[in-house]
Amino acid sequence: MSSFLRSLWTAARRDKAAMLGGVIITMFIMLAVFGPLIAHLNPTPSGANAYRGPSIRDPLGTDALGQNVLAEIVLGTRPVMEIGLLAALLTVSVGVVIGLVTGYVGGVLDSVVMRITDVFLTIPGLPLIIVIASLVQSSNPLVLALILSVTAWAGLARAVRSQALSLRSSDFLEAARLQGLPLHDVVIRQLLPNVGPYVAIHFLLDVTGAIYAEVGLFLLGIAPVSGTNWGEMINVAMSQGALFTTRSMYSLLAPMAAIVILQVAFVFFARALDVVFNPRLQSQ
Amino acid sequence: MTRYIIRRLASALAVVYVVISISFFMIRLMPGNPMVALEEQLQLEGGLTMQEIQAKVSAIYALQPHAPLWQQYFTYVAHAFQGNLGQSVSDPGTSVVHIIAGALPWTIFAVSLSLLLSFALGVGIGSFMAAFQEHRSAKIVTLIVSFLGAVPNYLVAILLLYFLADLHHVFPLGGAYSASTTPGLNLPFLSSACVHAALPVAAYVITSFGGWALTMKGSATSVLGAEYVRAAQAWGLGRRRVTQSYVGRNAMLPMVTSLALSLGFMFGGSVFIETYFTYPGIGYYLIQSVTNRDYSLMMGCFLLITVAVVVSNMLVDLLYPLIDPRIQGPGKVQRVKVQSAAKDSGTLPQSGGLS
Repeated sequence: MSSFLRSLWTAARRDKAAMLGGVIITMFIMLAVFGPLIAHLNPTPSGANAYRGPSIRDPLGTDALGQNVLAEIVLGTRPVMEIGLLAALLTVSVGVVIGLVTGYVGGVLDSVVMRITDVFLTIPGLPLIIVIASLVQSSNPLVLALILSVTAWAGLARAVRSQALSLRSSDFLEAARLQGLPLHDVVIRQLLPNVGPYVAIHFLLDVTGAIYAEVGLFLLGIAPVSGTNWGEMINVAMSQGALFTTRSMYSLLAPMAAIVILQVAFVFFARALDVVFNPRLQSQ
Repeated sequence: MTRYIIRRLASALAVVYVVISISFFMIRLMPGNPMVALEEQLQLEGGLTMQEIQAKVSAIYALQPHAPLWQQYFTYVAHAFQGNLGQSVSDPGTSVVHIIAGALPWTIFAVSLSLLLSFALGVGIGSFMAAFQEHRSAKIVTLIVSFLGAVPNYLVAILLLYFLADLHHVFPLGGAYSASTTPGLNLPFLSSACVHAALPVAAYVITSFGGWALTMKGSATSVLGAEYVRAAQAWGLGRRRVTQSYVGRNAMLPMVTSLALSLGFMFGGSVFIETYFTYPGIGYYLIQSVTNRDYSLMMGCFLLITVAVVVSNMLVDLLYPLIDPRIQGPGKVQRVKVQSAAKDSGTLPQSGGLS
């Protein structure tokens, strides 16, 4: 683990963008954890304070309802990160387990499960997510995460399976088989470490995918919201007519900027991991 | 080849069948059965006999609400395959298929135009990045392109709408064409359609060409290192010949496979882009039906988006052997696809000493 961190550090030092990405992700995680302790919404926002420009009291101004935009951004971090990370975790777990088991076991199980996987790979994810979310109408983070990962696991399952297939005939697995290790032992201790790097990068990109879809759901007002989050902030801004006045600039652009910064940070950080796990890229 | 085509068709039909089934069970098994709710609502409104109400509900949902579950299911599936998806709940009497048939051309127009533009732009920029990897400008372009690729398309849509349509009226606010023109093959209509499509297309292109450029760069870089390219150079073939016939053609292969995958993503993205630009395509109607709780239209739109993606996937798979002569036999496409997809992601641990 420490050698992994060391090579990650080396890669990040060589790639400034990746370093910045890592710093930004850490910052947002801190905000998600400690945000509710430092930021507080104005309990009685009034329209008289609407669309104030930036000031010391409201560094990012106020929105159409007179609410402090910066406080909303800080408080909105937790739900966005929570659901995004949870959905990516679900996606990766399902994808890896299905991919490793089908690839390693093979046979009928493999062909049946892969047929199902192919169906999920073809169904366009976002429309399905929208339809399910509109029918389920839940604001429970776990339920939302489940909905968001409904089709995303399929691509990973296929990629992991093809790796498990190629590992199947390797000597170390032959040795494990001859020792009579049980299936879960082979999968967890022999196969998993070999696909780990690929899965780690996939996880980061899955987080961006989940945040994209999640914010989109709140943006269109399809999923019911409890509390503040970035998508809902834009939704409120748009429904208050923010698009028709320049005074709404801060309340509209601030949540958008937050989303973009977080997404870009994840993508750039994934690049550093790519370099660490794939030494061939370093020489380029 | 015939066997391959038949197998490909069968698997496409299977996906469509699964999606129809999902549609049925989602409507039927959701909390607060919408068909019973509609019946009760029609009873409250009064003026209709029980039989008329039942006929109406069964026309809207394309099944018999009080038949046993399995019978409802078979009626629904049979109707769906015959192209009967019921009627719109919020617009009674209009068939879902009629609404979709009006919307689909606009989505196909905008999505295919965007795909064409971002593909061409991506191939061009990607080749540039691969050819001048060490150059400073290529590094800056790479940074910009990966930044744009990470920006959600709905945010770009909102920005374009805000700055170019609402604040400064450079482009129209929404719709597919100006009301003063008559649809048909005439210049005012066509130019109006293009002006109205400009912002939606721009939103797609800005957020998707980066992905194409990065894929092209990765693919071209790996081809540049291949033995056959060095061999071609050693023979003394001209630079142009090597780049076009050896590097270009081979680098394009993984790009064509990702075409199919990205189509699904673009049809999905149409949900946001069409909603914000009130562009009357299939994604716009999907969101409209979701907000109006118009379940039959919602499922119709979802089904049709899936069919569009399935058909385009199938087309790419069937065309693939034409551009890559190495693939001829049945079943080989899948395998090569997985391998090339794994290869161009560039994140696979090396397998054995084969490379």
